[in-house]
Amino acid sequence: MRSQEELLKALSDCVVDMEDELVGEVAQEYVTAGYPALDGILKGLVDGMQKAAALYEQEEYFIPELLVCSEAMYNGLEVLRPHLESAGSQEKHKVVIGVVEGDTHDIGKNLVRIMLETAGYEIYDLGRDVPLQKFVDKAKEVQADVIAMSTLMSTTMPGMKRVIEMLEEEGIRKNYKVIIGGAPISPAFANKIKADGYSANAVEAVTLVDRLLQG
Amino acid sequence: MGDVNMSRVNEMTPLERAAAMSQGKAVDRLPCNPNVANGVARVYGCKISEFNRDAKTLAAAQIAAYRRFGYDSVRIFTDLFTLCEAMGAEVKFPDDDTADLLKPAISDIKDIGRLQPVNPYKDGRLPVQLDAMKYLIDEVGHEVGCSGAVVGPFTNAFFLLGVDNTLKQIIKSPEAVHALCRISLETCKIFSEAVIKLGLTPTISEPMSSCTVVSPKTFREFSAPYLQELVDFIKSKGKGVIMHICGDTGNIWKDIAAMGVSGFSIDNVASLIECKHAIGHQVRILGNVDPGGVVYCGTPLDVRLKTLEGIAECYDSPKGYTPMSGCSLPVETPFANIQSMMDTVREVGYPVMPEKVEAMIADCKNQMAVL
Repeated sequence: MRSQEELLKALSDCVVDMEDELVGEVAQEYVTAGYPALDGILKGLVDGMQKAAALYEQEEYFIPELLVCSEAMYNGLEVLRPHLESAGSQEKHKVVIGVVEGDTHDIGKNLVRIMLETAGYEIYDLGRDVPLQKFVDKAKEVQADVIAMSTLMSTTMPGMKRVIEMLEEEGIRKNYKVIIGGAPISPAFANKIKADGYSANAVEAVTLVDRLLQG
Repeated sequence: MGDVNMSRVNEMTPLERAAAMSQGKAVDRLPCNPNVANGVARVYGCKISEFNRDAKTLAAAQIAAYRRFGYDSVRIFTDLFTLCEAMGAEVKFPDDDTADLLKPAISDIKDIGRLQPVNPYKDGRLPVQLDAMKYLIDEVGHEVGCSGAVVGPFTNAFFLLGVDNTLKQIIKSPEAVHALCRISLETCKIFSEAVIKLGLTPTISEPMSSCTVVSPKTFREFSAPYLQELVDFIKSKGKGVIMHICGDTGNIWKDIAAMGVSGFSIDNVASLIECKHAIGHQVRILGNVDPGGVVYCGTPLDVRLKTLEGIAECYDSPKGYTPMSGCSLPVETPFANIQSMMDTVREVGYPVMPEKVEAMIADCKNQMAVL
């Protein structure tokens, strides 16, 4: 029998080392041994994902590596989640995220979602090619703190501006922090459309959201 | 069609300019390519979807934009999905916007063996693209370099198997990704040959090779061998190769230069001056005004400043420099901004006098400060 500490490290290593098949067995062993699922998630899987993010920042890992790491994290989560004790979960900040209408490229958005989830945010993922009104409607419905929009295509950039205008028209712009990202997006564009923030990659997005919600 | 722009009436033609420059003779200005892509539809006054079925319109729109702005290269390029579509992928065609990948040709690596190289005269939109190239070179080939866009083998592979899936298979099934790139390369070569037969020069777009997506190690293992073979193939037919890779490319510049390309077009997130120092003695550098943040969103003055800054950094690059946007321009880019890039290059003239450029930069900044 491995100790909890050993198993946590094994879970973390599975994520960092892209062991998306092995991770399920380790998670099962962890649960069978009776250790708390929340620790397994936070100190095991999420720890691994944070290490993977650090490797990404150091340009050791790139998109393929990060994707397989996240697959490993999700495979582990699938085993651990049903064993979570529901009590004690504090209110999380909510983020509505999606790729704006006209664009179906969602790798960047998915990575941002994963990183925000890893950092403890509650995510409402609208997917890709999302009608602009849906960002507004969903943010109102779930009382989101943040609206995050992504696009890879320069042709769909005006949609981001439109969403901000829609929030203004409804008089609810102040209720949300709006952040944008994606290959053609620059800080200059974010300023121009009066977004609250821009991040160049998924790891930075977490720092950005943390900072915006503190301020 | 094509209202002629007065500012270019007394200019050399792009071919005259290129020829004189290569012989060290006097020229009027640097070559310049704002990289108007499907935005040519706005100049010509047609819908982008017409480019998918009407070769004459596709060529006529390119020609109209070329005549209006007088830039130094015209290219048949509509989107990145022509080759994968011809191999079985499904593509979405909005009425008046750029096409997008809807469904890859296969969804499982076990089906790689079912993929076939294209017949460029029969499959998908390739016949339309080739016909447009023919119209293009017949009409303006005597005065400006005409090229045909070819998607690189690695990038096209992603569209055959799906982007997410291919990213994962790079780690999980390297052999499958190699097999995929191999069949993808066959298509790239076949299409390039058809382009060359018409007298045009293929350009290679290889965005997935970017360090923004994959590591230099992955690039070297999965992309470079096939890209090299494509470059060698095109060169063996007597054509030079201009390559564009989006995003960050700093860590693979030396690999690209070593492939023997004649020009490399860099994205605005990459550093022009570092690129010059790294490979400027081997290849012409093209770039890199921010197409979204500056040319699409900015003012003509913003475009002027960024164009000047690029010239100041790179005009003395040993193998030459072409002011260009960092990637294809958004469709709705204001004409005044495209015009501004051209006019700036015209005003700088040739040979480039760095003091003059610095003075123009200072003047731009003064004007901005007043605003």
